[in-house]
Amino acid sequence: MPHDGSSSVAAVWAILRKECRSEWRTRYGLNAALLFAVTTLTGVSFAVGRLPDRTDLLAALLWVVLLFAALASLAHAFVREVEGHTLTLLRLVASPTAIALGKLLFNLLFLAVLEAVTVPLFLLLMGGPPVRWGPFLLILGLGSVALAVTTTLVGAVVSQARGRGALFAAVSLPLLMVVLAAGVSGLRAQWDGNPIGAEARILLAYIAVVLGASVLLYDHLWED
Amino acid sequence: MSAAAVAVGTLAVEARGLEHLYTGRRGLPAVSFALEAPGVAAVTGANGSGKSTLLRLLAGLLRPTAGRALVTVAGREVPPAARRAVLGFVSPELAFYEEFSCAENLAFVAEARGLRERRTAALAALDRVGLGARAGDRVAALSSGMRQRLRLAFAVLHRPPLLLLDEPGSHLDEEGRRLVERIVEEESRAGLVVIATNETRESGLAARRIELRGRGLGHPA
Repeated sequence: MPHDGSSSVAAVWAILRKECRSEWRTRYGLNAALLFAVTTLTGVSFAVGRLPDRTDLLAALLWVVLLFAALASLAHAFVREVEGHTLTLLRLVASPTAIALGKLLFNLLFLAVLEAVTVPLFLLLMGGPPVRWGPFLLILGLGSVALAVTTTLVGAVVSQARGRGALFAAVSLPLLMVVLAAGVSGLRAQWDGNPIGAEARILLAYIAVVLGASVLLYDHLWED
Repeated sequence: MSAAAVAVGTLAVEARGLEHLYTGRRGLPAVSFALEAPGVAAVTGANGSGKSTLLRLLAGLLRPTAGRALVTVAGREVPPAARRAVLGFVSPELAFYEEFSCAENLAFVAEARGLRERRTAALAALDRVGLGARAGDRVAALSSGMRQRLRLAFAVLHRPPLLLLDEPGSHLDEEGRRLVERIVEEESRAGLVVIATNETRESGLAARRIELRGRGLGHPA
């Protein structure tokens, strides 16, 4: 059976399509994430009403809702393969790097869908100063990529460990603090009319470092 | 790279002092052998002697604690990370996505392997193992024997020159066992088939036997 000569790209694409189809069939993560986001925003909205002049709270609330809504699903991208005993099959058809990149792309897509629902609802319920869409989307996008690369890398590393739930929290917490701090500061700055260059550079550098570490690490995962 | 694409006799497998230790226990005592395509070899030994571990080492799924596992095509070594392209693997631990049908699982595998006409390849592999009529059934609905046939279809989907079969007849009925014999006979015409088994019927298919003489049951290292 002939190959088309681009098996790595084919593998990444195949894994992305497989993840999308699996999520569509099982609704493993998206329903729970959307339920969390919508109920949290609705609950906070009932409790405190709109916050037109509290840009600090708005920025923190949006990132906390996105982070906690997405975290369970993002963290389980590899655990599902281990618990379903399908990791051996994946390893027999694709390199660890292709597997991880496919999962990373799915996690990014998952976050984009989650944000497409959560952000408009957040802006509707919580109010806030007018959004500067360019800076707002830049910080949201970079923060989402940073969140996805972190959870994908940590999820891959801890997936076969005993006590992986606790290990995931312990390893990812210090990493995610950087993302949260830059993300919250950046969103607040765009609402306050301040420049967001510093936060954007921090997130870009963070993504470059974690992505670089990922590419170096992935091919050595699961060898023993 | 398919069996047909690899000229007869150009694929070889070699173990040089190959050994593996799991944490606190011996997975595979040191073993050395050399095999060449075409042909069939059987790996036998007591439970826990390291048959499955040996196949995982040859497949590149495990890193040896000591020694080397070499797979060569036309005299050139295929590194462990690239071995998936030249081998088909069957193992009791191999599982599929329960929410997908048999055809969807194999079409995914074909796509990830970069095969053209993935749906056609998937259906052809399912037909070959007698699962053509169940192509649209979800894996969750399959019996254990049908799952074993699906594992065989997964292994031969890309027509690899090296087949590593760990207990290929498990859960299979008489017709299924004849299917295994037929696949081994067909694939060993051009390629190399290595069977890990304690079934005399399966080991009888092999011209060469590698007997693991470890103390079994994962004896402490």
